[in-house]
Amino acid sequence: MEELLFGIGISAIAGALATVSGAAEDTESDIGSQGDPNSQVQLAPQMGYIHRIYSKAISGEPPAYGLWCTLGAGLAWALMAINYNPVLAIVLGSAIAVFVQGVYATTAYLGRTASLAKFEQPVYIDVIKSVTTVTMAHAFVAIFTCVAMCFLMVNALGHPFPLPLLGLVWGIALGAAGSATGNPFYGKERQYQSQAFGAGVPISASGNIVRYAEAGQRSSLDNGWFTSKMGGPASGVCFGLIVFLELWRTIFFEEFAAGWGAVIAGVVLILIFMIIDRYVEVWARKTYGPYTEEAEEASS
Amino acid sequence: MSALGGGSSGGEGINPVGTAVGIVLLLIAIGALYVLSPGLAFMSLIGVIIGGVLIGFGVHFVPVGGAPAAMGQSPGIATGVTMLAAGAGLAGLFGGAWAAELGFGVALAGGAIGGGLMMAVTCLMVNVIYVYGMGIPAASGKVAKDPITGDTFEAYKSQGTEGHGLPFISYVGGVIGGMLGGLGGTLIYLELLKVYEEFLPGMFNVPAEQILPLAVGLAGVFAIGMFLVNAVIAAYNITGTIEGPHDPKFKRFPRAVIGCAVASAVCGMLAIILVVM
Repeated sequence: MEELLFGIGISAIAGALATVSGAAEDTESDIGSQGDPNSQVQLAPQMGYIHRIYSKAISGEPPAYGLWCTLGAGLAWALMAINYNPVLAIVLGSAIAVFVQGVYATTAYLGRTASLAKFEQPVYIDVIKSVTTVTMAHAFVAIFTCVAMCFLMVNALGHPFPLPLLGLVWGIALGAAGSATGNPFYGKERQYQSQAFGAGVPISASGNIVRYAEAGQRSSLDNGWFTSKMGGPASGVCFGLIVFLELWRTIFFEEFAAGWGAVIAGVVLILIFMIIDRYVEVWARKTYGPYTEEAEEASS
Repeated sequence: MSALGGGSSGGEGINPVGTAVGIVLLLIAIGALYVLSPGLAFMSLIGVIIGGVLIGFGVHFVPVGGAPAAMGQSPGIATGVTMLAAGAGLAGLFGGAWAAELGFGVALAGGAIGGGLMMAVTCLMVNVIYVYGMGIPAASGKVAKDPITGDTFEAYKSQGTEGHGLPFISYVGGVIGGMLGGLGGTLIYLELLKVYEEFLPGMFNVPAEQILPLAVGLAGVFAIGMFLVNAVIAAYNITGTIEGPHDPKFKRFPRAVIGCAVASAVCGMLAIILVVM
């Protein structure tokens, strides 16, 4: 019983860490403009819209976070092997991984933006100075919480994978969850605020991103402020639920039916999520109704 | 990307020369291992190939809209095919590896459900953002009616887009894709683990329990690597975006299945030869 309670407690802590990790990951990628909507940032100067948005998407978020979390976890693992305190080891490992992320961010921004020189898009040195450090700070939170979560899985819950391998697995899953959930909010709601709310962005408006903030030109720091209101928390809830439910169903139900209990619990959870999704879909169809020719911007 | 008008045509059908070369490679890999070690290692290679095929097939179910989906220009999840399938499959592999000691069947089922659960949560949160964050109802651009619920889509598509959101058929496709990915990844892991547990102690001349962490780590690394190989091959077959099992591109899966079988055979042979020779 005590062991079970301990397991559930660790699952809850891991879920909480994952929630913070997901929220920080999405905010970091929105500030650094690394998700799929980045194609619009890249396209904008070619359509004649010069901007001050950071652009560091050389690879997608999942492989990038796979790399950084593996680096953080691997370094922490190596430091623990020479008897460093685990907390200190995780902090140091994550910090070194963040410097790799900072180098990546700087070279990616310079390279991507310089490639747009023929469309007269300048490289803004002040954008590098102000935004790079902010993405690094958010990346540190995301990597540290993800590595700490993996540490709990290995040391408290006894997962057979070594720490760096778990860092790779959950780093990729973290990037996948964050980029899937947070990207639409950043892409449509933030970059296309000039478009009607409650409708998709017409294909003809591609590249016409909003470039001005309340006072002066918008920089990527404004994106962090905006998306941390919904895209970030939603990504956090998504990743937190994945981690928590995965651990919870295993720890709680593995005792039943020689391991099949956890499988049955997983099937039930999937069915519950399916029902909720259907409810959300039907709610949207009823509440927003079909588009008609006159009412394109109806549901604002 | 398809939202900019390109992309979905071209490269249909199966290339006979390419397929023949692939099948020869597949047979060479299987034959080489049969000559080297006909027992456990050979059967494991067959398991690895089946796992790779499951991953390649599963990726075709995952609804991916890429950059256009992030603007509400096309339906699906706003990320890359490989990324999402890998995320789901690896979450499954995590569960499968954990349940490995409870037996083969439980571990495989655990891996499949882990991947399915990851996709179920992700797809739900994607729809929550579309509906509550962007005010957009789900509408498919590829079919007029949802094959499961019967919802019509034409009137719910906003002007100038190919549809948006995540219709229920795409949701179900995502869950199935996650399950197949988790199942395939776990199968590859378990088969390789069996081989490493058998051959590594003899190779290093140490007791089995001492070598177990190395066997687990090595099998995990190779399973993740082969997962990515198969997911990337399937992503090239899909080229950009796919809505799920109702998408016309879904019919291309036989090509990916052949490609994944060949790639898994060659990669699996290398991973197994490492310890068998």
